[in-house]
Amino acid sequence: MNASFLLFTLLNTGFVLLISPLFMSLIKKVKAYTQGRKGPRLLQSYSDLRKLMQKEVVYSPNSSGIMRITPYLNLAVLLLATLFIPIVFIPEAPAGIGNIIVFLYLLAIERFFTALCGLDAGSTFGGMGSSRLMSLSAVIEPTMIIAFAALAYVLKTVNFHEMFAITAGSTIPESPTLALISISLFIIIIVETGRIPVDNPATHLELTMINEAMILEQSGKNLALIELAHAVKQTILMAVLINILAPWGLATELTFTGIVVSCLYFLVKASLLAGLIGLFESSIAKMRLFRLPGFYMMAFFFSALTILMEVFA
Amino acid sequence: MNILLEALVYGAIAALISGTVLPLLYRSKNTRKTSFGLSLLSSVLLLGFAGAILYTGKEPVFPAIRYLPGLDFTLAADRLAAGFVLLIAAVVPGVSIYSIEYVEHAKSEAGKNLQAALTNLFILAMLMVVLAGNMVIFLIFWEIMSISSLLLVLHDYSSEENKKAGFFYFIMTSLSTAFLFMGFISLFRLTGSAEFGPLEYPASILNLPFICLFIGFGIKAGIVPFHKWLPYAHPAAPSSISALMSGVMLKVAIYGFLRFLLSVYTLELWWGILILIGGSLSAVLGVIYALKESDIKRLLAYSSIENIGIIFLGIGLYVIFKVEGLETLAMLSLVGACFHAFNHALFKSLLFLCAGSVVHATGTRNIEAFGGLVKRMPRTAVFFMIGSVSIAALPPTNGFVSELMLFQAYFYSSALSDPLLKVLLIITLSVFALTSALAAALFVKLFGITFLALPRTKYAEDATEVPKFMLLGEAIPAILCILSGLFSAQILVMLGFDFEVPDMLILGLILIGACGLVWFAVRNSGPSGSPRISKETWGCGSLAQHPTMEYTSAGFSEPLVVIFKKVYRTEISSTRIYEDTKESIFKSGTARIHLMKFFEEILYTPIAGAVCLVSSNISKMQNGKLDTYVLYVFIAVLTLMIFTRFFA
Repeated sequence: MNASFLLFTLLNTGFVLLISPLFMSLIKKVKAYTQGRKGPRLLQSYSDLRKLMQKEVVYSPNSSGIMRITPYLNLAVLLLATLFIPIVFIPEAPAGIGNIIVFLYLLAIERFFTALCGLDAGSTFGGMGSSRLMSLSAVIEPTMIIAFAALAYVLKTVNFHEMFAITAGSTIPESPTLALISISLFIIIIVETGRIPVDNPATHLELTMINEAMILEQSGKNLALIELAHAVKQTILMAVLINILAPWGLATELTFTGIVVSCLYFLVKASLLAGLIGLFESSIAKMRLFRLPGFYMMAFFFSALTILMEVFA
Repeated sequence: MNILLEALVYGAIAALISGTVLPLLYRSKNTRKTSFGLSLLSSVLLLGFAGAILYTGKEPVFPAIRYLPGLDFTLAADRLAAGFVLLIAAVVPGVSIYSIEYVEHAKSEAGKNLQAALTNLFILAMLMVVLAGNMVIFLIFWEIMSISSLLLVLHDYSSEENKKAGFFYFIMTSLSTAFLFMGFISLFRLTGSAEFGPLEYPASILNLPFICLFIGFGIKAGIVPFHKWLPYAHPAAPSSISALMSGVMLKVAIYGFLRFLLSVYTLELWWGILILIGGSLSAVLGVIYALKESDIKRLLAYSSIENIGIIFLGIGLYVIFKVEGLETLAMLSLVGACFHAFNHALFKSLLFLCAGSVVHATGTRNIEAFGGLVKRMPRTAVFFMIGSVSIAALPPTNGFVSELMLFQAYFYSSALSDPLLKVLLIITLSVFALTSALAAALFVKLFGITFLALPRTKYAEDATEVPKFMLLGEAIPAILCILSGLFSAQILVMLGFDFEVPDMLILGLILIGACGLVWFAVRNSGPSGSPRISKETWGCGSLAQHPTMEYTSAGFSEPLVVIFKKVYRTEISSTRIYEDTKESIFKSGTARIHLMKFFEEILYTPIAGAVCLVSSNISKMQNGKLDTYVLYVFIAVLTLMIFTRFFA
């Protein structure tokens, strides 16, 4: 645990926490524009979070400790996950921090406990949400592993920090195959953050919803924590894609200007990506639940193709 | 040093033997307690024994005891055996402490004593199989292991279900022994000795023993398609025995298989491919079948099939990498597989013990009848949670570390030269990923439906926490799960394996720190005071919440059942009768959902039919008349004479 890593922990986590809610409203804004509405302010997510933080927490008497610890645990897990994805600069990380598999399974912790939360209060909606979440996440898992295995194949390492160090040196994607992986990564972002066509984050109490159903029983501070964790997750997944496909600007060393430039670059690139996600969401309809495995197969196909290309090239 | 090791192991054996004999002599509660105390003592001794060997790397061979010419009673322990002795020593304490109170629920006094005696015998047999210095000793104790566990499965022999389970188990375990016999005999013919190795032969000669041993050990370990005995035998056995069977006995089969594989000098590539495919299939089918299950112990049994599949998958990777000359990756997969065996022993025995408590408290094994137990059995719920998190492979638990090692082995496999092999690895990797994610879904379902929300039946409503020894028995494997996860990197280094495995201790500490930080940050913002407890879960304005509104176990797994309906092979057939000729007014009809038991209907039933056919024909030869038998003997002698004259 050296000083540069400690600084990285503070800067990277702080930066992600700070900007994450921005992209939530940005996507809403883009969606609103495509529908001919004006949409919320860009800073709306921040004031929503602040408002929720001021509210008291209400629990169902049926609920157990799971409901009480999950919001804290979720955010903590995602804060840990931010250490795996360098955004401000690439530090020398100890103890295998940056390991792809650990990163994936940190996301799995969040999913596991959110799903339990859905079952905790005993409402039908929660159970429905967690059943769907766990089913769909099981089906997407092979794709995620294969996509990340493809990354490891191409870049010859299983550590994000080393991967980004390799890609950051170049101005174009390191290998054309990386462009293919990006398609899978994009689909993974859509799935993991519960966006159309997988899930509809804008609705409540519809038969289509997944994520919103599980957090229906959450309120006040706890809801704020869960929303924030969700936003952080979206940002770091976006950062994976950005650092693989368009890594320029990421500081490989610890300098003041480097950090500032990195942050600015990331802000611009992530805003573009968020816009893209918003456009994608507006241009496609919510899919039926049982047609989703087909959608996932597409992502699987692209990453498997990447590996095959690497294998036979 | 050697004397110390001898003292430890003989002490443990003596403790187990007296633990077996004592309850058979005196029928009282105290003898049962002493008996379980003795098995606890033996595990402490074994812990020292295995730890010393693993740490120092000394490999003692104990002096042989000769009873019969050619039959040496030899015990030996190398690092592999010590690893599995450690596994036994890790599972036994929890089980024996748990059993002190659990065994008192048996119906008759004699049954209680018998159960205590057999538990000790079972542990002893498993220990001796692992320590066996040659194949003869191995087989003898293998049979004792099978028979003692069979008797334990049949503990409640009056029930029809248990009889069927016992019968099934008996057939399968005999089949396993038969294949092992064949394998060992063919090895004996090659080497001329009953020693395990080393086998410096071209692998092509070893193909036959390999196939025999793979099937023999595969049946016992429960890989698909030989897995069917597990879901029958595990629910029938007492929970403490299920914990031992699933936690240790399956691993003993893995040990036997590894003992053979590691003594072979030149491995064949197709062995690795076979093991890898068999393992992957078991893993994914095991968990898919488990998802549909609503009997808690049967579900856990299917989940064992899954985990055994993962271990075999690791062994398969080991063989492939070894053949391809990638020593580091081979070692990583092998250690990953062994570590997963150890971890599975811990969390599966923990889960079975907790399941036993739940079944004991509610009186039913049906998950649909549970619910809300977290309020009624809070401590068991915590232990069950630890087990679920470990088996769902969430960091920083032990289950995660072993899966991580296998994933890493996969991710580095780009060094392989054969492209087709790479394609195979990609396919099995995605199957492995699917397995691991399905396991998470499975345990969300199991924990959520069992412990959360409102109790669904009166059984669950009246459940109370189990007595303290049972809780203590659950606590031991739970604590070991956490410790072996957190200190995994340090343990691996201590055992002399230098892999690039993330340090779970640091990750765990950061995670705890982050939790504290979030809690601290949130506590100091917003309104203070305790949270409000509302009267109801909000149900869109419904007047009162009723347990029937909750998601059920079947409901929870419904989406996955639909997605994997090809695997389940559900047949839906319906007939409709209409009032009119144009078929527009529906009068009546029937609908039937038939769940095909694939392996039973495709594999087992035809074989059983064939066996019945052959045996019924053979039985015609047996007419009970003396002259017929004399004729048979005459023909046999004649044939033998002709055979020796012309062929031998």
